[in-house]
Amino acid sequence: MAILEEPIKRPLELQNYIGGEWVDSEGDKVDVVNPATMKTIARVPISTADEFDEAVQAAREAYHEWRRTPPLARARCLFRLRDLFEENFEELSRIQTMEHGKTIDESRGETRRGIEMCEVATGIPSLMMGENLEDIASGIDEYLIRQPLGVFGIIGPYNFPFMVPLWFAPFAVATGNCIVVKPSSEDPISQVKIAELAEEAGIPEGVWNIVHGGRTVVSAMLDHPGIKGVCFVGSTPVGRDVVYKRCGETGKRVISQCGAKNYALVMPDADIPRTVAACMTSFYGNAGQRCLANANLMMVGEGMTEAQLDGFYKEVADAFVDAASRITMGYGLDEAVQMGPLRDPGKAQRVVGYIATGLQEGARLRLDGREFSLVGDYPKDAFVGPTVFENVTPDMAIAKEEIFGPVACLMKARNMDEAIDVIHGNPFGNAASIFTNSGRWAREFQYRVECGNIGINIGIVAPMAFFPFSGMKDSFFGVLHGQGKEAIRFFTESKVVIQRWF
Amino acid sequence: MSDQPLTAAAIISFTERLEDASATFYEALAKAFPEHARTFEGYARDCGKHKVQVQRTYQETITDALEAGYSFEGLRLADYAVATDLPGGANLSDALRMALALEDTAIAYYTRVAEACESLLATIPRAFSRVAKRRTSRREELRDLAA
Repeated sequence: MAILEEPIKRPLELQNYIGGEWVDSEGDKVDVVNPATMKTIARVPISTADEFDEAVQAAREAYHEWRRTPPLARARCLFRLRDLFEENFEELSRIQTMEHGKTIDESRGETRRGIEMCEVATGIPSLMMGENLEDIASGIDEYLIRQPLGVFGIIGPYNFPFMVPLWFAPFAVATGNCIVVKPSSEDPISQVKIAELAEEAGIPEGVWNIVHGGRTVVSAMLDHPGIKGVCFVGSTPVGRDVVYKRCGETGKRVISQCGAKNYALVMPDADIPRTVAACMTSFYGNAGQRCLANANLMMVGEGMTEAQLDGFYKEVADAFVDAASRITMGYGLDEAVQMGPLRDPGKAQRVVGYIATGLQEGARLRLDGREFSLVGDYPKDAFVGPTVFENVTPDMAIAKEEIFGPVACLMKARNMDEAIDVIHGNPFGNAASIFTNSGRWAREFQYRVECGNIGINIGIVAPMAFFPFSGMKDSFFGVLHGQGKEAIRFFTESKVVIQRWF
Repeated sequence: MSDQPLTAAAIISFTERLEDASATFYEALAKAFPEHARTFEGYARDCGKHKVQVQRTYQETITDALEAGYSFEGLRLADYAVATDLPGGANLSDALRMALALEDTAIAYYTRVAEACESLLATIPRAFSRVAKRRTSRREELRDLAA
């Protein structure tokens, strides 16, 4: 099957984008490596705190005019950006595959999600409207207006290099704020392309800035008095113990979306072929590197005898393993490929470490992802195949900890109460799914489960751009979430005016 | 090729090739049989529209939350290979026979892919079904022409 043409022909030398200028960093540069081919496709600078400060100063300067730009004019900039995303849809998608490793279908899906954020944010003249009430007392009126705050920082993760910063950036800019984006240094090219298109769309200089880097830039962002709020997506230890904590100390608003360990329940009345198809995408899509991926599959024997539950479990497990064992792996630009590599060999080794842990814990390795073949001749360094563990108990590390790789843990529960107790024993609360044809079970599940995103016969519970991307417990730190109306509230201050005229 | 799994990307690429080949075929027929040029040129133009409609539906619908890599189990693209090179010296009757065979294959393809992804890929199967319907109408016209 055809390998799609690579849009990056030679290694790119990436620069920061500050105040409308593409500028070199004084920091060291590190290689951005395509994990499927292990070839260097770019070199990205690890910027200094001073360079971050320059970006904040540029953003603050731009803010004064940008916040006075009518919302309709700001929306038009985003319309143009959205159109440029469409015009460059294929190139943007292929870049994601090259820098991250995901398949081309997954990359196109990510591009689409990012575009949708932009589309929703273009509704800013309506979304940002305030509220009012006449005659709160005789002759006195009260109204609420939403005002932008200034400069926001956005810290992107490696697993969705194009989409995730767009959960925030269009909403921040549409509401009249300016932004400094720090892309993941592992796959920063998509954000560079977005900034190039933002420039082409006529977004004024200083409104949308990019500063590449690592911990130094993150620390500078968290400490900088000119940054009003921070949006972070990444691991729980960093999101909770560094970002959320430091934003609290420095008085910044924060959206900190973190790790996950998501459960999927299969009820006895589920449509098994469709459930298994949904599970393949959910467990192995993006090579398991997403916070909405399901990781634990639990067959629930509600109303069944133990023997019936064993039979039901076996039927689902066999179908699951059969489908997982047939997943094709390789370079995501090959249209025959269903699963790409992990982002880098270190991440692959981490997953392999968890496979060893699972064996030590006594789980049964039904499908071993350490043994695999690839479509095409590529280095195997960053690949791990679909892996399935059986006989997993909720207290095992493989069932509790976020592996962030293509590892599925299969379990049983006697009934829904027991299954929900297990879910609640998990520190995370990002997402959970149920596969059933029973409205009663589905409602019970959505009502009781303490997770921010609930799927009913849906394996990847990715909220659309006009809904908040929710999360609970150790999966989210903050109050308001990214996307939709909650993002509008996050990026604006509510100012109340009470007036009377003598 | 037939043993490889079919991702949505692979199906879309195959669809593009099928419509491109069909368009080229009907353009050749328009040149070879000027008395029916208008009909065949119209078919060629429609092939371009089908391609754009399917591409657009896919690009506007695809998300990471759908089963794009797992919706076409059991489908073999080799079953839908089409002959579109008009042999030298072919008369109208030969050409129409080829056209009917092409339409039969295309209709079978679009119907099968629409069924395969019906419950998994939201609006994409509807785009395939629409093209199947249009090509079914075209087949009826070709049959009338051949009669």
